[in-house]
Amino acid sequence: MGVLPAFRLLRPRSVSEAVGWLNYDRLAYAGGTELLLAMREGLLRPTHLVDLKGIEGLGSVEESSGEVTIGALVTHTQAADHPIVGARLPGLAGVLQRVGNPRVRATGTLAGNLCFAEPRSDVAAALIAQEGEVEIASPQGRRRMAVRDFVVGPYSTALEPGELLTRIHVPIRPDVRFVYVKHQTAERPALGVALSVNSHVSVVVGAVGLSPQAFEVGSLSALDVAEVAARVEVVPDLTGSEEYKRHLVEVYLRRAIGRLERGE
Amino acid sequence: MIGADVVEIAPVINDREVFLSVPVRMTLAEMLRDRLDLFGVKLSCEMQVCGVCTVLVDGQPVSSCTYLAADADGRRVSTIEGLAEGEQLHPLQQAFVDHFALQCGFCTPGFIMMAKHLLDRSPDPTRDEVVEYLDGNLCRCTGYAPIVDAVLDAAGRLRAEP
Repeated sequence: MGVLPAFRLLRPRSVSEAVGWLNYDRLAYAGGTELLLAMREGLLRPTHLVDLKGIEGLGSVEESSGEVTIGALVTHTQAADHPIVGARLPGLAGVLQRVGNPRVRATGTLAGNLCFAEPRSDVAAALIAQEGEVEIASPQGRRRMAVRDFVVGPYSTALEPGELLTRIHVPIRPDVRFVYVKHQTAERPALGVALSVNSHVSVVVGAVGLSPQAFEVGSLSALDVAEVAARVEVVPDLTGSEEYKRHLVEVYLRRAIGRLERGE
Repeated sequence: MIGADVVEIAPVINDREVFLSVPVRMTLAEMLRDRLDLFGVKLSCEMQVCGVCTVLVDGQPVSSCTYLAADADGRRVSTIEGLAEGEQLHPLQQAFVDHFALQCGFCTPGFIMMAKHLLDRSPDPTRDEVVEYLDGNLCRCTGYAPIVDAVLDAAGRLRAEP
């Protein structure tokens, strides 16, 4: 019986117990919104799921020393509704309120979203533009790295077998203006554009290519939307041809700039 | 071999506590349909896209097709079967009937459970909010206008209840 292939369930009570169990065949499991689908399709066949939901301390959102820390068990809905995220990272809260559908948001975690490295991830594009970082635990200790470096390709991250993403850190930057716009007709966007502006401009174009792509320019007036649309790597698929997607990039970049200029 | 392949769970299903022994690979939808005969839970895409398998777990909407039954341990699970009180339909169910918001009815339990979560959280939504909230549920018969009408009407009926 069953639509899911056979596996065994491990329920660690601490991060150290979890990383002692994790390996190439034993995968971290929280919301399951990506993992269980991949297992159902036969794309992943772990021997064990290491269920993180019994680990205390990974389910909180906290603010300290100029950053917001989001635990690995925090779902999109919990983060979007959290008063700290609403007050300190309102742009990110807006992104999280529109990820996937309400069921995906209620069960899927931000950490799982990043670890799956789906090319059309809203969260990855937004967190790269906001200079977010991930904290990674392993039996050897802990390390931190930029989300930009963590996402190395489609469905591929810097996470080694046996490592666990435990927390996401997002700097609080009241001086930065942020906007995210996307074109979406199904569960995943055809295009997402994140724009962060202060002393310089960071543009992240997500969903149209194999990974979110970042472009830096000195100022908003120096941002040539046609040039970004021409340079961005685009993969044609069911959501559109290369020509159509480049057109989308240009149109949505203009819309993002318009929203920033109108102070929306 | 470490790890469990069967777990004992005690979820509360539609206000009734049940005790079950389930394989860890069993989905919540399989448990509700095959063990508890709750056939209002439908299965279609099994990819979290279509919404027909929607149930509420501790008040949150989940796709029961890809949610482990093991994770329902100790949680409150609500399905379409738990909404009516005896012969008295829930206002959402009655509004769907009144607005002809279904033809074949296959998607209806999912729409109603999603709408219940929306109205639990937001008792007076705008039409745009209803449309946006339900865009993760697919209907292939009626078109969506009568469904949105029914949800807005039910919201009014629920607000008018003492």
